[in-house]
Amino acid sequence: MADRVILTIGTKKGVFVADAAKPRRSFALRGPFGPGVPVYATLIDARGTPRLYASSCNPFFGMKVLRSTDMGKSFTETKSAPAFPKEDGRALANIWALEAGSGKKDLWCGVEPASLFRSHDAGDSWDLVPGISNHDHAYKWQPGNGGLCMHTIIRDGNRMHLGISTGGHYLSEDGGETFRASNQGVGAGFAPDPYPEFGQCVHKIARHDDAPGRLYMQNHGGWADWTGPGGPRPDIGVLRSDDYGHSWRSIAKGLPSDFGFPIVVHPHDADTVYVMPLEGATRSCPGGAPAVWRSENCGESWSRLARGLPKKQSYFTVLRDAMDIDRLKAPALYFGTTTGQLWIGREGGEQWDCLFDSLPPIHNVKVAVV
Amino acid sequence: MGPTPTITIHVPGPLRTYCAGAAQLSISAHTVRAALEDLQRRQSALYRNVCDETGTVRRHLNVFVNSDNVRDLDGVDTALTPGDVVTILPAVSGG
Repeated sequence: MADRVILTIGTKKGVFVADAAKPRRSFALRGPFGPGVPVYATLIDARGTPRLYASSCNPFFGMKVLRSTDMGKSFTETKSAPAFPKEDGRALANIWALEAGSGKKDLWCGVEPASLFRSHDAGDSWDLVPGISNHDHAYKWQPGNGGLCMHTIIRDGNRMHLGISTGGHYLSEDGGETFRASNQGVGAGFAPDPYPEFGQCVHKIARHDDAPGRLYMQNHGGWADWTGPGGPRPDIGVLRSDDYGHSWRSIAKGLPSDFGFPIVVHPHDADTVYVMPLEGATRSCPGGAPAVWRSENCGESWSRLARGLPKKQSYFTVLRDAMDIDRLKAPALYFGTTTGQLWIGREGGEQWDCLFDSLPPIHNVKVAVV
Repeated sequence: MGPTPTITIHVPGPLRTYCAGAAQLSISAHTVRAALEDLQRRQSALYRNVCDETGTVRRHLNVFVNSDNVRDLDGVDTALTPGDVVTILPAVSGG
C-alpha cells in the first residue's frame, strides 16, 4: 500500500480519522467514532501493523480505551481501561496521554488524577506504575483548570520524562521504576515561591532523538505583570533544557506571549521548534490574529508564521495536544482549535490552509505516515 | 432478615452491550448495595460502567428503585422487596 498521511483528531464528540496521499492535497474524513464523548488522547502506533488508539472519556459510564486495527475505519473498546486498585481510593477521571512503549504491544498511559499506567497487551490490561503514581508528592499536586492530569510521557532509553499539570516535570533514569521532581528553572506563577521544587503547571514537553539531552517545554506563562509576593516572573512560559531535564532556562524572549499549550519539534531539525502563543488571560490568539511561532535556533529567536491564517477576529484556543507535525521531507504542521477547525501548515508552517472548518471542539491531533 | 427478594434490574440501552444484550437482569438481593455486588461478581463489565473503582455509583448516573431515586431513600443501602425494579439511568445533561 502506498504511504498515507493519517491524522487522529480527538474532539469533544468522539474521535475522527482523516487521511491523504503523500502530497496531502486533500484529506478524507471519517467518524466520529465512540459514543460521542470527549477524547483527550490519541495514538497512532505505526510499529508493525498500525494500531490507532483513542481515550474515551464517558462522563456517565467511565473511561474506555478505543483501538482500531483497520487504519481508523472502525474502533472497538479494549478489554479494560486503566483503573486504580480499589484500596487506593482514587478513581479515574480522564485519560490524557497514550504513548507506545518498547515492546510491540507495550503502551503507557497518563491519566487524571495524575498517575501512570502500563499495558503489555495493546491496552487489554493495565498496571499502575507505582514509582510516580504513589510518589510522595502525588497527594500534594493540585488540579489546574483542565484537571490534575499527566499529559506528557517521553521515553528516551532508560530515561522517562513526565509532564503533570500541576505537578511539574518528573524524571526517571531507571526505566520508570523511580521518579524525582526535576524543575530547576521551571517557574510557577500561582505560588509565592516563583521556583518551587514541584507543583508547576507544565503544559507540554517535547524532544528530538538527534539532540540528546535537549528538551523544550511550554510552561504556564503569563506572569510578567504579577505584583504579589515573589514579584513578577517574566518569560517563565517557554523553556529549554540542555542537560536531560535536570535544569531549565527561558527561551521565551521574542514571543508575543509566553503563554501557550503545545510545543512541537521539527522532525528533521532538532534546533527548530514551534509554539502557539496565546493571551494568558483569555487563552486565545493575541489580538485575534492566530499565528504559530518558529525558532530555528533552539529558541534563541522566533519568527511568526501566519500566511493563510485569519488576520483578525479569531479568538480560538489550541490545546496542549492539538498540534503535531508529520515526518515527510517537507513536513506539515497541523493544529486543531477549540472552535473545531483543523489547519495544515504546509512547508513547515509557511502556508496555512483550513482542512476542516466545523468539527466539534478539538482536544488532540496526532499525525503519522503509515 | 427474610428470604432474599428477587428483583429486576433494568439496563439502559448503551450498557446492554456489556451484558450480552440483556435489557433486564433478575437478581436476588436485600439492598441496592447487594444488587451491585452481585453485578460485580456476575456482570463485571456492566458493573464497571455503573460503579467506579472505589465502588461508588458513578456521579452522573441515577439509580431508581421503582420510581424513587435512591438518593432520596437510603442510598445504596435502600432495602429491596420482592418484585422491585431497579433502574439505572444517565443523568440528564447535554452540550
